[in-house]
Amino acid sequence: MAYSDKVIEHYNNPRNVGQMDKNSTAVGTGLVGAPECGDVMRLQIQVNPETRVIEDAKFKTFGCGSAIASSSLATEWVKGKTVDEALEIKNTDIVKELALPPVKIHCSVLAEDAIRAAIGDWKKKNVVAGEPASAPVAVAAN
Amino acid sequence: MTVVAEPSKKLICWSCGSENDADTQFCANCGKLQPYIPADYFTFFGLPRRFQLDTAALEKQFYRLSRKFHPDLYARASADEQRWSLEKSSVLNDAWRTLRDPLARTEYLLGLAGIRLEEQSRNASDRAAESGTAKQPVVPPDLLEEVFELNMQLEEMRMARAGGADDPEARGSLEAAKQNFSAQMETSQQDLQRLWIEWDSAANANDEETQQAAQRKMVDLLNRRSYIRNLLRDVEAALKG
Repeated sequence: MAYSDKVIEHYNNPRNVGQMDKNSTAVGTGLVGAPECGDVMRLQIQVNPETRVIEDAKFKTFGCGSAIASSSLATEWVKGKTVDEALEIKNTDIVKELALPPVKIHCSVLAEDAIRAAIGDWKKKNVVAGEPASAPVAVAAN
Repeated sequence: MTVVAEPSKKLICWSCGSENDADTQFCANCGKLQPYIPADYFTFFGLPRRFQLDTAALEKQFYRLSRKFHPDLYARASADEQRWSLEKSSVLNDAWRTLRDPLARTEYLLGLAGIRLEEQSRNASDRAAESGTAKQPVVPPDLLEEVFELNMQLEEMRMARAGGADDPEARGSLEAAKQNFSAQMETSQQDLQRLWIEWDSAANANDEETQQAAQRKMVDLLNRRSYIRNLLRDVEAALKG
């Protein structure tokens, strides 16, 4: 099975590899894994508390080329979005963009899980008054 | 309390009309090959659904049936018999490959018990996506942390080794990591066998609660094992490279 050009491109030049201070309140960290393939993925976001815009994102993934490409793409996509917009990113969008074959779809699922986990972590650290930390949909910004 | 076994369905031989057990491969009376009826691999081999299995006996049975199902023997038989011999030969090979391998067998029997390992993670993802919340991890978060840290260390060791021309210190750390992971694989194998015994005895005693508890432990163990297996593979690759 051959990787698509886009996967190879992300694999050779992964965007936003790195680490942020996971203890910072502005940082949300998502660590997810897929036991079926043994991959682990860490995705971190830095959020502006006023605008709720994701200003920076970093990832580190141990896994196959598709998992690395999926998380690399995910960091590119979340940057500049609000946390609520970022939650709209679907694994199917990643599949389409990277032309992932069916056996690699779980890599894109992992990336979507990682985004959601990072945002969940950030929300937990920044409980907005009147909004429970686990609220599925954020209340309108005030 | 006496348990009355239900009379299992009978199979009437298409050739001589005599009555056989439902999972019969060859008629007890005339010896003719019987139709292929889709069945799980344990039933196909006439085995009880248990994790522990005598693989030596299974191997003998496999070779015996391979010969008896062989399509060459049916070259001049009816079209039905030719088809059954092909179908049975094919299932026989799949069943043998699955049941002889301890892990494949474990996953297969867990599957028969309604547990699909690869679906667990996917289901958790689906639930998370639906509710818009973070995924409930199918492995304990501290295991993920541990695996992540081990991977980081492994990467550092690899880089140190790539930098210096075979730095003995980096090689030593890699060797130590390899031993550690191999030992963990070994332990998980022993733990798995203990869980097999637990489940099998519970199955013999119709103790569903214990069976389910053992199943859950097996799933945790197998999930953990796939991470350790990858780490071991990576460290071995680093040592060779």
